[in-house]
Amino acid sequence: MRTLYVSGDSLLHRISPRVKLVGLAALSVVLFASRSPTLLGTLCVASAATYLLLRLPLHESWQRLRPVLLTIVIVGLFTLVADSAPQAGIFVLRLTSLMLLAAAVTATTSISDFMGEITALAMPFERIGLLKAADIGLAVGLVVRFVPEVLARYQAVRDAHHARGLKPRMLTTAVPMIILTLRNADEIASAIDARGLRRQK
Amino acid sequence: MLTRDLVLTALFAAIIVVLGLLPPIMLGFIPVPITAQSLGVMLAGVVLGAKRGTIAVLLVLLLAAIGLPVLSGGRGGLGVFAAPTTGYLIGWVAAAFVTGFLSERLVRREQTGLVQGAGFFVSALMGGVVVLYAFGIVYLALVTGMGFSKAFLGSLAFIPGDALKAVVAALAGRAVMVGYPLLPQRA
Amino acid sequence: MDIRFEQAEVRYDGRTVLHPLSLSLSERRIGVIGLNGSGKTTFARLINGLAKPAAGRVTVNGLDTIADADRARGQVGFIFQNPQNQIILPILREDIAIGLQGRRLSKPQVDAAVDRVLSRFGILHLAERRAHELSGGELQLAALASVLVTEPPILIMDEPTNQLDLRNRHIVVDTLGALDEDVIVISHDLDLIRGFDRVLMFHQGRMAADGAPDEVIRFYRETAVA
Repeated sequence: MRTLYVSGDSLLHRISPRVKLVGLAALSVVLFASRSPTLLGTLCVASAATYLLLRLPLHESWQRLRPVLLTIVIVGLFTLVADSAPQAGIFVLRLTSLMLLAAAVTATTSISDFMGEITALAMPFERIGLLKAADIGLAVGLVVRFVPEVLARYQAVRDAHHARGLKPRMLTTAVPMIILTLRNADEIASAIDARGLRRQK
Repeated sequence: MLTRDLVLTALFAAIIVVLGLLPPIMLGFIPVPITAQSLGVMLAGVVLGAKRGTIAVLLVLLLAAIGLPVLSGGRGGLGVFAAPTTGYLIGWVAAAFVTGFLSERLVRREQTGLVQGAGFFVSALMGGVVVLYAFGIVYLALVTGMGFSKAFLGSLAFIPGDALKAVVAALAGRAVMVGYPLLPQRA
Repeated sequence: MDIRFEQAEVRYDGRTVLHPLSLSLSERRIGVIGLNGSGKTTFARLINGLAKPAAGRVTVNGLDTIADADRARGQVGFIFQNPQNQIILPILREDIAIGLQGRRLSKPQVDAAVDRVLSRFGILHLAERRAHELSGGELQLAALASVLVTEPPILIMDEPTNQLDLRNRHIVVDTLGALDEDVIVISHDLDLIRGFDRVLMFHQGRMAADGAPDEVIRFYRETAVA
C-alpha cells in the first residue's frame, strides 16, 4: 500500500508532528466557529499557500484532492440552491481550507511519526487500564500485513467463480473471503502469544 | 483484550479495506453506485459483535488518518475528514456498534435460519442505515449551515442502496455464522 | 533440554484431551507422531504454555509453565503449520525486530541481531521485502528467524512442512538438520523424524509409544492404519 507521505525538506516537514496536529486541530476549531467571509477567505488563501509550499506535482495534488474537492463542490452547489449564496460561500471556504491544511499535514508527516503520536496519546488510557498502547501499533501492523493476503483470497474466490462459469456476486464472494480469512485468526493469535509479543514489559 | 480478539479485529479491518478496493456496483433502479465498503461496516457488527466490530472500524479510520489510501477509491489522509460527508465516516463507528449490539441480543443459536436472518437484517438496518444516516445528515447540516430537513433531502438518494446492503449483510452474516460462528460473544 | 511432565492433564469443554502424562525429555531431536486429534498438538502446546494443565504440572529447564509462565515460554520457540500466519508485520525486518522489543537494545543492536539471525537462515537478502511476496519456504525460514532471534534453547515445530511443496520442504528439512537448538517436531511427514533420537506416539489423548524412531513408526503404521 502506497502511503500519502512524501519525503522532503520543506518547512512543514521540519515542524514536529505534535505541533502540526495540534495546530490543525486549533485551526479546525477556528474554521468551524467563524462565520466571517473575510476571515475564512484569508485562511483559505493561507491554506492554499501552505499547500503550495510542498511543491507537489500538479497531477499528484489533483489525485489527492479531487475526491474531497468534488464532494465539497457538489454539496456547495446544493447549499446554493437549497439555502443561499453566502451560506454556500462560507461552507466552501471553510472546508476547502480544512482540506488543504489536512492534506499538507498528511503529506509531511510519516506513518511512524503518526504512530508515535498515537501511542503517546494512548498512554493515559493505558494507565487507567482501558487498553495497551502497544496493541494499537500491533493492530495497525497486522492490518497492513494482511490486506494483500485478503485481497489475494478475494481474487482466488472470484477466479473460482469464473472457472465454474458463475458470475461473482457480492454475497457469494464476500462470505468465503470472510470465513477463509477469519479461520486464520487462531493460529495468528497463537503465533503472537508464543513469541510473547503482548506481555507486560 | 484477548490476542484472538485483537487478531479478529485486525483481520476484519483488512476485509473492510479490501471491500473498498472492489469496484462500485451499479444496480439498475438506483441512481447512485453502491460501494462494498459500507457493507463491510455492517458485516463487522453482524459477524464480530459490538466491541470487536467497532474497533475494526476504528482501525480502518485510523489507517486512513495516518495517510494510507484505505477508503474506497483509494482515498486516505487527514484531508478525507475535511469532506462534508465526514459525518458518515464518524457514523461508521456508531453503525458498527449498534449493528453489533443488536445482533448480539436479537440473534440466538436456537433460532431458525429465517429468524436469525431477520434479526441480522433489523440490526444492520438500525445500525447501518438509521444511525449512520443520523450522523451523516446531522454533520452535513451543521457543516453547511442548511437545515436538517434540507440535509435529509440531499441524502435521500443513497438510502435505498444502503437498505439493500442491510439485506446482503443479513444474508452474509447468517452464512458466516454457519461457517465460522463467533456470536454469541466469546470476547 | 530438561522438560518434565508431572501427571499433566488437559481438559477442554469438560472433555479430557490429554490424559495424565508423566515423562522427561532431554534428547536433542524428538519426534511426535499421531493421528489428528490424538493429543500430540496439545502435548506440544503444554511445553510453551499455550495450553494449560488442568491438573499436574510441566516444567521447562526448571521453570514451571504456569508459575513462571513468561520465563518458561522464553525458553521455547514455536513454529506453526501455516507459514503465512507467523509473520505478522508487513516488512520482514520489522517482524523479526519486534521479538526484541522490551529488551532495551539500541537500534544498531537490534539491526545487528536481526541481520545475524536472517543470515543464519540465508535470507538476509529478504530483510526489506514484504511478507506477502515471499514463498512458503521463505516464510517458514522467516518464522524460524523470528522465533530464534531471542535465542531460546528449545524449538518446537508443529507440522512445519505440511503446507509446503517439495522444494520448500527440502529447504526446511536441511535447515532443521543444521539447528543447534534442541528440537521437538510434530509431523505427519515420517521421513522427517526418521533420524531423530526419540519418537513419541500419541493416540486418543494418551502416549501409546515411546522409543527409537524405527520401532515407533512401525508401531504407528500397524495400529493407526488398522
